[in-house]
Amino acid sequence: MMSLTNSEPFGVTDLRLVFPKEKDLFFKDLTFQYHQGEKILFLGPSGCGKSTLLQVLSGLIPNSIEIPIKTRESRIPKRCGIIFQDPETQFCMPYADEEIAFVLENQQVAQDDMEDMIDQYLTAVGLKLHHRHQLISTLSGGMKQRLAVASVLALKPDILFLDEPTALLDPKGTEDLWKTVQTVSKDKTLIIVEHKIDHVIDYVDRIVLFNFNGQIIADGPKEMIFNQYRSELRQYGIWYPGIWEETFPDGEILKLPQEFLTEPCLILKDFKAYRGKQVKFEVSQFQINKGEWVAIVGENGAGKSTFIEGIMDLIKTKGDRVWKVKNEKNDVSFVFQNPEYQFVTDSVEEEMAFGLVIRGVKEEEIQLKVNEALRLFNLDHVRHLHPFQLSIGQKRRLSVASSIIHKPSIILLDEPTFGQDARNTFSLLRQFERMREEGTTLIMVTHEEEIVHRFATREIMIHNGQIKSDERTKRVVQLEGVNT
Amino acid sequence: MNSYLNPNQKWLARVNPTLKFLTIAAIFMIYLFVHNFNVMLVSSFAFFIFYLFCNGFSRKLSFWLVTMTFILSVFSASAMVFFGKGTHMLFEWHFMTISIESMTRGLHLGLRTFVYGMLGLIFASTTEPVPFFYSCMQQLRIPPKYAYSFLAAFRLIPIMIEEYRIIRAAMKVRGMSEEKGLLAFYRRVKRYAIILLAQAIRRAQRIAVAMEAKQFSMVKKRTYYYKIGFSRYDLIFTTLILFIIIGAWIFSSYVPLTPYNNVLERSY
Repeated sequence: MMSLTNSEPFGVTDLRLVFPKEKDLFFKDLTFQYHQGEKILFLGPSGCGKSTLLQVLSGLIPNSIEIPIKTRESRIPKRCGIIFQDPETQFCMPYADEEIAFVLENQQVAQDDMEDMIDQYLTAVGLKLHHRHQLISTLSGGMKQRLAVASVLALKPDILFLDEPTALLDPKGTEDLWKTVQTVSKDKTLIIVEHKIDHVIDYVDRIVLFNFNGQIIADGPKEMIFNQYRSELRQYGIWYPGIWEETFPDGEILKLPQEFLTEPCLILKDFKAYRGKQVKFEVSQFQINKGEWVAIVGENGAGKSTFIEGIMDLIKTKGDRVWKVKNEKNDVSFVFQNPEYQFVTDSVEEEMAFGLVIRGVKEEEIQLKVNEALRLFNLDHVRHLHPFQLSIGQKRRLSVASSIIHKPSIILLDEPTFGQDARNTFSLLRQFERMREEGTTLIMVTHEEEIVHRFATREIMIHNGQIKSDERTKRVVQLEGVNT
Repeated sequence: MNSYLNPNQKWLARVNPTLKFLTIAAIFMIYLFVHNFNVMLVSSFAFFIFYLFCNGFSRKLSFWLVTMTFILSVFSASAMVFFGKGTHMLFEWHFMTISIESMTRGLHLGLRTFVYGMLGLIFASTTEPVPFFYSCMQQLRIPPKYAYSFLAAFRLIPIMIEEYRIIRAAMKVRGMSEEKGLLAFYRRVKRYAIILLAQAIRRAQRIAVAMEAKQFSMVKKRTYYYKIGFSRYDLIFTTLILFIIIGAWIFSSYVPLTPYNNVLERSY
């Protein structure tokens, strides 16, 4: 491969790494090298070690994260900037300017120069704040990530490492972040770990593909990888362009007759939901029908979560809210965005059983149902683990499975596929579709347009705390001859 | 000079935070050794006035905090008032004995609590964490690793409060909050603790790594975004404090409001 400079390549030769308390080597004699100016994307299944390698290449391991490693040779760049996944935990100061100043202070920049430099970095990442002294907590996730970019730019890095920086961002935030990265990294080296590759793919030139065991199975120009390793990409759950069409070709999902969906299960009248003392969602007349798959869409902060939390009576509300079900407690279920918050027991098995135990179901029946659900959601092999020990995908599946084990007829889900890889997302969607076929009503907040177009029967757009549009999707059709 | 942009416009917010902290700590010590009830009475009134004019809270919050402090003071007074020893009996009923001695000592304790409360509120309402820790690093030479750890921890507080709200909702949805009894209560507390701690530990670790990635630990010397120095407000503040303390002494030696000049003495 041509390098832009004649300097020696960075990287590691024969890397061996072992996690504490694990018997086996995580990396065994892994060699990876790169030259200055390259734009590289690491792809692979969750947990394959992409992020770990990135931390080794940036020197975080073993300098900041103490994990024993051994290499025959290693060249770690001196000036590198790292962007992490979670926007909440990259900052140590309350205000935006202070965070960048923190980096400048570390480098002993003279105080008089700081303000100008802060403004310069904020402009570079396209953050238009009212004032540089703005509380970080008032920024959206995408803006926080761009602030993170601004603060690592202050390190004057030659190399930028990005560790799934958009995993917790909505589509708008994702797009903005990649635009920013493109403009600031023109003459820099980039190493990116990412699952959603729509936006990065045009920008990188080299792809490194890992398998489940942390080995590099392919390394080369992106065209080569896409042509020769398509089935691996799919198997590893990577969001490559066109994957939706490949997995769910048009016509595979059932069309539904319009008449099917008219019997109400929830009626709202003059309904208001509050955050603190402010009305954050308002609707005068609203109805959800049995068997619908309702997708609730809208920008961040538009009031989507307020809406469904209001329906669930988890926040203060006013007005009428009528469930047309036998028993509200048993028939309506809610799945939170972060699965960890709703785990109430110490093992996967107990977690699954919990909803049945508190409803007084008989022991033998519980056993039967739990076993069935564990199999169905592919959690059988981890049944004795603590829920917190599971992978992201497993946690999500457990949170959904344990919320529906008592067969509620209505399920509300707050961004159930958020941060999931393609494989997990598709397996969840298949479960949801199966539940819908059995007559369950699904009400789901989502950012993913493909889910709305391919699966939902109804799309509700929320804007500024109100329903802006409410339409049947193309899944629901007027069947010829039914009305006559 | 790069001054700290403070949303809080009270002049006390401009006093050097270290100076404010040390002065208030010193007053705490001084008033431990004040046994003159008259001095205490005048001082607590003076500090209350000082608080009313200089605190940085909103009116409503201020009202509730003062009420809380008052209630706390009444509690701390009552133990001594009702059950303290003394020879000049005012009231007796079973275990309850109120004597002049216990009465004055109790009230004295209550007033001390009140003064401490007022001073604490003054400090809390007019001091932002960022300038306080910058000042600690610059005036007291506190190592940056401690100062920034505290600042990073401050960021976690609102996140944890929001997290608590979500967990409470999640427990409600899962049916956890319906179980009654001591065992269920224990299980709930355990649940909250596990989730909140697990998240907090993970966050703390991530923040620490992110800070090191920004080359925090590699440097011994550093520059400062905010230079926290001294100003005329520091002079005003210390003068005012000295005025209150000395003024209270002089006033009560010329105009003793009560006959109790030493609450530790037994007879009057």
